[in-house]
Amino acid sequence: MQNSEEDITIKEYLQILKDSSPYDFSEYSDNSIYRRIHKVMRDYRLSLNELVAKTKSDQEFVEQIVEAVTVNTTELFRDPSVWVYILQKLLPQFKNNPNINIWHAGCSSGQEVYSNLILLDHLGLLKQSTVYATDISQKVLDQAKKGVYKYRFNLNYIENFNQVLGVNEPKVDFSKYFDINESEDRIVVKDFLRTLPKFMKHDLVQEKLPFYNKFDIIFCRNVLIYFNSGLQSRIIQRFHDNLFPGGSMILGTHEAITGFFKTKFVKNGPVYLKSNVFHFKY
Amino acid sequence: MDYIKSDRNFKLIVLGGSAGSFSVVSKILSQLKPDFKIPLVLSLHRLKHVRSGLVESLSYKSAIEIIEPCDKDKINNNFAYLAPSNYHLFVEFDGTLSLSTEESNNHSRPSIDYTLSSAAYAYRDKTLGILLTGANRDGAQGLKDIADHNGYTIVQDPKTCDIDTMPLAALRLFTPNQILTPDQIVQFLNSLPQ
Repeated sequence: MQNSEEDITIKEYLQILKDSSPYDFSEYSDNSIYRRIHKVMRDYRLSLNELVAKTKSDQEFVEQIVEAVTVNTTELFRDPSVWVYILQKLLPQFKNNPNINIWHAGCSSGQEVYSNLILLDHLGLLKQSTVYATDISQKVLDQAKKGVYKYRFNLNYIENFNQVLGVNEPKVDFSKYFDINESEDRIVVKDFLRTLPKFMKHDLVQEKLPFYNKFDIIFCRNVLIYFNSGLQSRIIQRFHDNLFPGGSMILGTHEAITGFFKTKFVKNGPVYLKSNVFHFKY
Repeated sequence: MDYIKSDRNFKLIVLGGSAGSFSVVSKILSQLKPDFKIPLVLSLHRLKHVRSGLVESLSYKSAIEIIEPCDKDKINNNFAYLAPSNYHLFVEFDGTLSLSTEESNNHSRPSIDYTLSSAAYAYRDKTLGILLTGANRDGAQGLKDIADHNGYTIVQDPKTCDIDTMPLAALRLFTPNQILTPDQIVQFLNSLPQ
């Protein structure tokens, strides 16, 4: 951006966005938020000053920015080995629980929500499960609710599925949970799963939680990588506060918790368990 | 061929490779001096079906330890950092690494362009960028970014590449400091002041 009229910085723009909308990206990780804002400027052919003007005057445009800035890549059973662990080690522990509360924080277009529901169904745990799924973007939530995904682009969904559920007896076929329509190039989640999750628009950074109950499992995969360290810690504290003792937090395979929180969770395979040890609040 | 050496001081080496690069990277890592200090960041395309196992295969002969980093891990001397499967890997100003699951770039995640460009911005003239064999043009622009920020750039000699698309794409964009064979790349690295 060599334009001499560009007299504000992206940091200042994020402050303006914060002041004129409900959204605060100021504690997102610098490199990635700058990259995303530049992408928005390219896609909409706007200078930073034009972006500021539109942000202040057009609330609908702000929603589009939120959708463009947030990263919404997800897949069914991403990292199959993690899901094998969830299937074989984690979920079976809940088989005598009358209720299992699960929260997918930053669920994007829902693929991991359905991955989890499939495993719950496979273990006969669907009835006692309550599954909440939240995201900052309404657009991806609408997509998640529809449960419709591209077929050819996502052939790896079926490979991942088979790695998790097609190996051990009883083998399960993909078609138990999805209708495949090759001619229209789409796969659709079957209704008995699709209607179960409670999808809600929620900004993890800013808003109070939209539910009162505590959770047995919180999924938040590849969301924290877009936040700076301070914000990461606050969100992990939030998860910690909202887990039952012994509850599980599942992050992305290359997300780690550091410093103080290492004492508040015990890592078991790919799962962080809320430690029962008493700690003073800092 | 002359003995290839350099006395420039680098703080970071970033290396990109795609099709055919496994054996080259493996050779470089296995022939580095065991006390090789300058951290290496490796952004290598993987076949979708063989997502795991790369770090183990490279580690088998490597002279230095290879890590698939977590988000916000610090870059330390004496280590090589390999972009984890299915993530983009970025070098940050504060000497840490960050990961992202953003859309593929040039059909690739990790994208070599992203890793190389981020290193160019963060480490500027202290960056050494190396681009190896590959069947795709990802990496060419990132290597040019390193050159544009006064870093040092090496492209693998296309004659020695399994597939020369990637080095040729870089050579069409700009002229690197060196065009070297894998053996010369090893010589060059081992000659660097540590």
